[in-house]
Amino acid sequence: MPQQQRTSRWRVWHRWLSVIFGVQMVIWSISGAYMVFFDLDFIHGDHLVQDITTVVPPDADVQPVSAVIQNYPHSQTVTLDTRWINQQLHSVYIAEGHHGTELLDATSLAPIELSEEHIVELANRYYAKGEPKVSSVVYLTENPPTELNPKLLPIWQVNYDDFGNTSLYLSPETGEMLVKRHTFWRGFDFFWMTHIMDYEDRTDIESWWLQAFMIGTFILMITGVVLLVYTISFRRKRPGGAE
Amino acid sequence: MMRFFQWLHRWVSLIIVIQVLLWLVSGFYFSLNGHHGMSGHQYLEHGDHAMLSEVAPTVDVADIRQRYPDAKTIRLHSIAGIPQFIVTSVDDTHYLNGLTGAVWTTSPELATTIAMSTYNGPGDVQEVSAIQGSDEILNWDDAGYQVNLEDDLNTRIYIDAASGQMLNHRNTPWTLADWAFRLHFMDYSGGRSFNHLLIWSAGLLALWFSLSGLILLINNFAKGDMNPRRKPTMLEHLQREQKPVASSCGGGGTCGLCKVTLEGDDLPAPTPAEKILLSESEIEGGLRLSCQHRVDDKYSIKLPDHDAATVTLELATRRLLSPSIVELTFNSSEAVSYQAGQFMQFCIPHREQVLTRHYSMATSPDPHRFVFTVRQMPSPSEKIPPGIGSTYLCGMEKGATIEAIGPFGDFILSENSQRTQLFIGGGAGIAPLRALLQTELSRSQPRSCVFFYGARHVNELCYRNEFTGVDQLEYIPVISEPKENQGWKGATGFVHEEVEAWIRNQDVNQLDVYVCGPPPMLKATMAMLAEAGVPRDQIRFDDFGI
Repeated sequence: MPQQQRTSRWRVWHRWLSVIFGVQMVIWSISGAYMVFFDLDFIHGDHLVQDITTVVPPDADVQPVSAVIQNYPHSQTVTLDTRWINQQLHSVYIAEGHHGTELLDATSLAPIELSEEHIVELANRYYAKGEPKVSSVVYLTENPPTELNPKLLPIWQVNYDDFGNTSLYLSPETGEMLVKRHTFWRGFDFFWMTHIMDYEDRTDIESWWLQAFMIGTFILMITGVVLLVYTISFRRKRPGGAE
Repeated sequence: MMRFFQWLHRWVSLIIVIQVLLWLVSGFYFSLNGHHGMSGHQYLEHGDHAMLSEVAPTVDVADIRQRYPDAKTIRLHSIAGIPQFIVTSVDDTHYLNGLTGAVWTTSPELATTIAMSTYNGPGDVQEVSAIQGSDEILNWDDAGYQVNLEDDLNTRIYIDAASGQMLNHRNTPWTLADWAFRLHFMDYSGGRSFNHLLIWSAGLLALWFSLSGLILLINNFAKGDMNPRRKPTMLEHLQREQKPVASSCGGGGTCGLCKVTLEGDDLPAPTPAEKILLSESEIEGGLRLSCQHRVDDKYSIKLPDHDAATVTLELATRRLLSPSIVELTFNSSEAVSYQAGQFMQFCIPHREQVLTRHYSMATSPDPHRFVFTVRQMPSPSEKIPPGIGSTYLCGMEKGATIEAIGPFGDFILSENSQRTQLFIGGGAGIAPLRALLQTELSRSQPRSCVFFYGARHVNELCYRNEFTGVDQLEYIPVISEPKENQGWKGATGFVHEEVEAWIRNQDVNQLDVYVCGPPPMLKATMAMLAEAGVPRDQIRFDDFGI
């Protein structure tokens, strides 16, 4: 077949380029398909948790906000909020500023220390996937898992024994749920890593090898297009044969 | 199966190639600019909010709780030095001025102050315009301000009027990146969503495309195609060495022309293709198809047509035999000895490369003269080009030269038999049969010859006069489309049917049969001969090497 002679050099290049770049192309399309086919809200885990804010009880005896500012003069934000602690709804103030974050009883302005039990109680209220089955509770101070931004340390990690291995991360100061993770988020993160080819921090999209692979894939594509033009335009067989 | 994946890979690539290019280009743009370069945050300053003790709110949460008894959270913070309460109630969010308790309002001046507190670039405010939503801020349709700055990046800062919040910075690099996102996510609404039908389809196609490629690649590895030290096939080797070897299928194991004899111990086992194309005795005798085996030091290769050589042929005359068949006569300065029934392999120049085409000599041998009959292949339709080889040959000027390799072929006259020589031909298959007939009839004591020749029309009966009224030759032309040939008195129908009727009254063991013609005719004739009981080794045929 004559076109075979002509295209063989392109074909050899196409094959060898595909050994290096084609394999990454497969990885790109698999990871891309995963990210495309799972809804982003699902990946974010919006279905894992529910809103647990409630109306501040009208009869709650709440200190004026000026008292909080007086006690914590460096506060930049003061929030009146509610917390379920020991099965009771408490009105609380959260004072945030250069001093850090403080959770205060809104009536007495006494600081509230959240224990592990309190954290689990709050986490279970957030948890929206039916009866909560906690498998482990860890107070993370260092070496965070890859799924957690190290800036959020220290933090409570509450793990659930469910489909998706849900993990909720709660602030030790305020008991607020800051991060939610599950298997599909972890899958997304893994595929994101393979998509951007940053196998360590999973954030750098500017690496030279990512760019090199894109250029290589471009060349691979050019060889493919040449082959495509040849094979599709010369493929027709002539009838007869004596000619 | 691999053909299916090849087909899939090819056609899916045709559909998806543009999007793959867009993915690559936009991806490359992302990589060049990085997250920061595309965020629009080049001049974003994360301003430090004032301490609440300094902004001195005069309204207390007690007042707000009275006004909004369904408040879930009440947050006090400051914007541009002014205390602000954010009240999140069951179904709404309210922004209140912490000094007056009134609903928060943002004046253009305040919007400018807020904007500038988040800006650390070199530009000055160029324009502040009140707007209602913006294409550049997703899902924001509220009243607000766009603060334009006069800087190198053409920065825009968006402020929400109801809350006094800075929504985001936008600039020219952001706009370019936004287009790259549209291309990458195939979301041309600007919503940067990658969960929609269009990209699902593209993703699925891309997946099929790359996975079929991967399967083909694995298959290539498994077959050893990727081994750089792999030996070439004997055919490739012979062609590279420019040894005369015929092949029309290019190494696919389907034409059966590239026969060689292998000598040595432990010859390679015949492949399925060889079992079909070669007889058992040929395989026994060391005959193999050179495309089916790789070069090996263990055995030596002997070419069957060792007299074959490359010759330069010069066109002498061109003559139309029938409306579709042209007779070309070439001269060769070199003497080439060939036998009647053999063919030459033409090297047809075509678009910077050389195609090979096979034509049988149409006369009894003459070392300096070669006659061929070429069937001109007109285009069946405008889209399909005419035959490359025939078009080239028929277009040659007198005196022009062409390279050919040969002679090849074992479609030659039988020896040592006194049987009746039966020739069955159709269309362009006349050439080798005519050579055989001429040779046989020119002998001092020619054997008895019968020649059945089929054509569609009377005017396609090539060399009709030459065969009519010759001693020792019974010539039976057969016309397959008699309706259009008024006045034809001879046989009509398909040539093999005519032979079938004739052969009933013959002793089939006393026949040497030669068949040459187009594939359907050849197939039908071979089946008919087998049915009639003609011994297989008394039948020779030339299938044009298809």
